[in-house]
Amino acid sequence: MSDVLSDAGSDSNHDDSQEDVMTPAELIAKLEEAWLNEKFSPELLENKSEVVECVMEQLTHMEANLQRVKKGDAKASVHRMEIDRIRFVLSSYLRSRLQKIEKFFPHVLEREKSRGEGEPSLLSPEEFAFAKEYLANTETYLKAVALKRMPPNLQTVDMLKAVPEPCLDSFVFLRVKERQENILVEPETDDQREYVVDLEEGSQHLMRYRTIAPLVSSGAVQLI
Amino acid sequence: MFCEKAVELIRELHRISDGQLPAFNEDGLRQVLQEMEALYDQNQADVNEAKSEGRAELIPSIKVRHCCLLRDQRCVTAYLYDRLLRIRALRWEYGSVLPANVRFHMCAEENFRMTIVVLSQLQWFSQYKKSLASFMRSLGGGEGLDITQDMKPPKSLYIEVRCLKDHGEFEIDDGTVILLKKNSQVVLGVAWDILSCVCVMSVSLCPQHFLPRWKCEQLIRQGVLEHVVS
Amino acid sequence: MNTQAYLPVQPGVGMEENFFSLDDILLSQERLPVRTECAFPRLGFLEKSSDSQDIAEGTKMELPLWLSKGLYERKRRILSVELPKVYREGWRTVFNADPRVVDLHKMGPYYYGLGSQMLHFDSPENPDIAQTLLQTFIGRFRRTMDSSQNAYNEDTSAVVERLDCLEKVLFRSGQTGLHGFQSWEKGQASQLTASSLVLNYRKRKITDVQP
Repeated sequence: MSDVLSDAGSDSNHDDSQEDVMTPAELIAKLEEAWLNEKFSPELLENKSEVVECVMEQLTHMEANLQRVKKGDAKASVHRMEIDRIRFVLSSYLRSRLQKIEKFFPHVLEREKSRGEGEPSLLSPEEFAFAKEYLANTETYLKAVALKRMPPNLQTVDMLKAVPEPCLDSFVFLRVKERQENILVEPETDDQREYVVDLEEGSQHLMRYRTIAPLVSSGAVQLI
Repeated sequence: MFCEKAVELIRELHRISDGQLPAFNEDGLRQVLQEMEALYDQNQADVNEAKSEGRAELIPSIKVRHCCLLRDQRCVTAYLYDRLLRIRALRWEYGSVLPANVRFHMCAEENFRMTIVVLSQLQWFSQYKKSLASFMRSLGGGEGLDITQDMKPPKSLYIEVRCLKDHGEFEIDDGTVILLKKNSQVVLGVAWDILSCVCVMSVSLCPQHFLPRWKCEQLIRQGVLEHVVS
Repeated sequence: MNTQAYLPVQPGVGMEENFFSLDDILLSQERLPVRTECAFPRLGFLEKSSDSQDIAEGTKMELPLWLSKGLYERKRRILSVELPKVYREGWRTVFNADPRVVDLHKMGPYYYGLGSQMLHFDSPENPDIAQTLLQTFIGRFRRTMDSSQNAYNEDTSAVVERLDCLEKVLFRSGQTGLHGFQSWEKGQASQLTASSLVLNYRKRKITDVQP
């Protein structure tokens, strides 16, 4: 994949305003990492708009280059395939996020509201707009069809209570990218005690998401 | 017992667990709302009596009715919310234009009568489509990406499909118009660019076409084309 | 891979109930034996066996879980809730002896769900109920998992009909995994397929939807 990207990008003039130097291979690796984490984590993760934008730009480059390749060139079909594959990963990533936004919208918006200044946003601007519209649309609908025809003290439903929160106690598979020491594991039953584990680099585990959530966002572990 | 009608609404949806949208039970909803009104009125009367005449022994019954009101409210909103999830599914499975037989399910049982309920559902759906469209359009700094396509990872350059229904004319990106006729066997290519020269010829000779895969994904989902795996 | 576009609200985990979950609403419809600890004036019609205008104190009757939960208070008790038979000591002994032989569909079908909900009501037996629920689940889990992971193109109805609702969900997810793996092995995983929703809509005639 990386090969094709650099190949496709090489003959285009690089006027991009990408400050941090990232090779196409690194970019795609970043996308795949974000994709898998998002797919397997029960909650919505921090948005990666910059990765999404760079990948979209790359796809445009590749498409443009492909237009210039002569018809019948066997290389072109391989490139076309790569474009399709990258576009699939990107779409699938954005889909997983949108699905979670729809599933947890009141909570996602609440977190966004209570976010401190300088704290990174969970939602991209586009996702934020979508979530707000989804909430307003749904509330309008419930109100118009039923709530406003109910007795006065029953005309509202607290969406934060009605729509379930993500279940952070779900178990996830993970691979350790950076060695971790003294991870506190909560007891599963009353007769167990809490204990600490070290996570060796490259090792794989099945753990409660809540325990390792901070490590997912820091990039120290990869969900698989 | 109270709240039987409300639970009946829930059972109606629960029975159809695959996500299909049954006709809106407007009559059921009306009956629940009537029950709520009656419960509320009775409670108002009892609350007043309890206050003015000091009849505290009425409180347990007031509580019972209040629980029933909350139960009715929960069932009705859950009924409506689950319907939204089913309507949402339509956008992802059918695309933004729904076939007439499916549009029917948005409506109440008495045909296409435009009640507030029907109208509100259609409004929710059209707003959802709008939100989704503007989300997809704004991706990548306005470049746009249709994320309702590419549902499965691409595995091959070509896919062979069989046409299950007469679908009529279908335009390929390069402007070629092909006719999708029932039972015609079609080869659709991912790498349509290198083969487009072949494509033009084949259209005139036999019903074999090369289309970009993303163009047929939706037709396959809608059951117009069938993906043949050899 | 999740290609199904209808994503219903999942039931709550453990003692939680999800407000919008259809499953949880139906679970909370299960009836519990209760005894009234005070009179309920003007609600006599809810109690079929008497003609009185009120429900008298000390009446034994059955109420749905949602109402029992709503009326239950620790401090001022207007209702005491009794355990349904399957959670009482007699049945607990049976479950603890060999949980695999019990027909949980008949006993439930919300055996675990209702059992967990019973923990909301203060009872000295709660720790034992919780323990039995857990042991029953563990005792049956291996068999449920084994059959769901291995029964390919077999009639599983005999196994499935004895499962509780929660176990059924697990069984189905195991089967989905198995079928997904098989179709991947046969190289069919990349096949694009028609949406099952679309196909089901087509099967249903418009007349069928009229209640």
